[in-house]
Amino acid sequence: MLNAALSVLLAAEEEEGGGIDLLLPAPAELIAGIIAFAVVFFFMWKWAWPAINRSLENRQKAISGQLGEAEAAKVEAQSLLDDYRSQMADAKSEANRIVEEARAQAETLRSDLVSRAESEADQIVAKAREDAANEKARALQEARQEVADLSIDLAEKVVGENLDREAQRGLIDRYLTDLERMA
Amino acid sequence: MDELILAVEECDYVNEVVCKPANVLELFEFPPLFDSINRTVFLIGLAAIIVLAVVYVTYRKPRLVPTKFQAAVEALVGFVKDEIAVGIIGPEGARYAPYLLSLFLFILVGNLFEVTPLINFPITSRMAIPGFLAFLTYVIFLVAGIRKQGFGYFKDIAWPPGVPVAMKPLVGIIELFSILFVRPFSLAVRLFANMVAGHVMLSILLASGVIFIGAVGEIGLRSTIGVAWLGMGLLIYVFEIIVSVLQAYIFTLLSAVYIQTSVNPEH
Repeated sequence: MLNAALSVLLAAEEEEGGGIDLLLPAPAELIAGIIAFAVVFFFMWKWAWPAINRSLENRQKAISGQLGEAEAAKVEAQSLLDDYRSQMADAKSEANRIVEEARAQAETLRSDLVSRAESEADQIVAKAREDAANEKARALQEARQEVADLSIDLAEKVVGENLDREAQRGLIDRYLTDLERMA
Repeated sequence: MDELILAVEECDYVNEVVCKPANVLELFEFPPLFDSINRTVFLIGLAAIIVLAVVYVTYRKPRLVPTKFQAAVEALVGFVKDEIAVGIIGPEGARYAPYLLSLFLFILVGNLFEVTPLINFPITSRMAIPGFLAFLTYVIFLVAGIRKQGFGYFKDIAWPPGVPVAMKPLVGIIELFSILFVRPFSLAVRLFANMVAGHVMLSILLASGVIFIGAVGEIGLRSTIGVAWLGMGLLIYVFEIIVSVLQAYIFTLLSAVYIQTSVNPEH
């Protein structure tokens, strides 16, 4: 293909010197090219170049502004997070304290109840003992009275006359007391 | 496409295997439309208008979050500005960025006319454009060198520092020749020749393809030649898109490199 192109070029050159014509700029095209490029260059120099730089600067500003905002937002979020975390920690320790307190209260309440119950039980037992003792003493007293009376009755029947009841009773009492002492 | 076929309408498809014009200039020179305004002159103006329109639309009210179109143009502009202007020349490169930007976009649009349907003609294949632009680069790097180093600019080229004394005259002559003569010509001819070759190949292949296939009633099986030409033509078409971008880049890059050697003599 390149050969085909070259052969055309060479043939043209041999025939009519077209190759040389090809190498020389045509005046109309040269003038058009100069004007066209001059317009492009002046446009690029005076308008496009400042516009390009302005556009880049604006973008740079916007991006760095946004980065700054993002940084501020990040800092704010961090402080919020810190606040939240410390609040969390406070709440947790508060909860712990409350639980601890409740537990302590429950403990004292329990031990109170237990000790009260114990003392009550002790009181009941003591009272029961006392009652029993009283009952026993009373029974004993009654028994003693009965024994004295029976003994006097028996003795009257044996002796066949009324005895001084009060004196005899004292005698028997003394005797019983002696017995108790000896026992 | 019309003018391509017109240019080779006297094709002898019965005897020849490819359609080519008698004179290659038929592919590059158009009759005047009115006065001295021919198609090429019109296309040169159109290229400038397209560059202006694209840049104007992009940067008239640039958005912070760019549209796809804005992002694409910004990428091109940013590439020339950062990679070529500042990247090659250094911090001083920003001064030359408007020139390099104009250069790149104007050549890019001019080159892409080659593969633009209904235009199919690169204005950079006319010596006027690469010649003028190479001349501009030449003037700019010479002026930059003189402004930066005064007459020492030429002295350093002709009597290069850092070269053994015995070699200085030889290297000096080579440098002088290469900087003052080869640079502008190579810059101009590289772009020009690439676009001429591309246009010759594309127009001959595509026109041959269309003509041979169109003549199927007359030449029968011979018209399959046209299928081969058309296939190759379409392949080259894609290739030419790459070449268009690449040559615009190379022209701009070399201009920046030349300016850089004037501005930073130590390198």
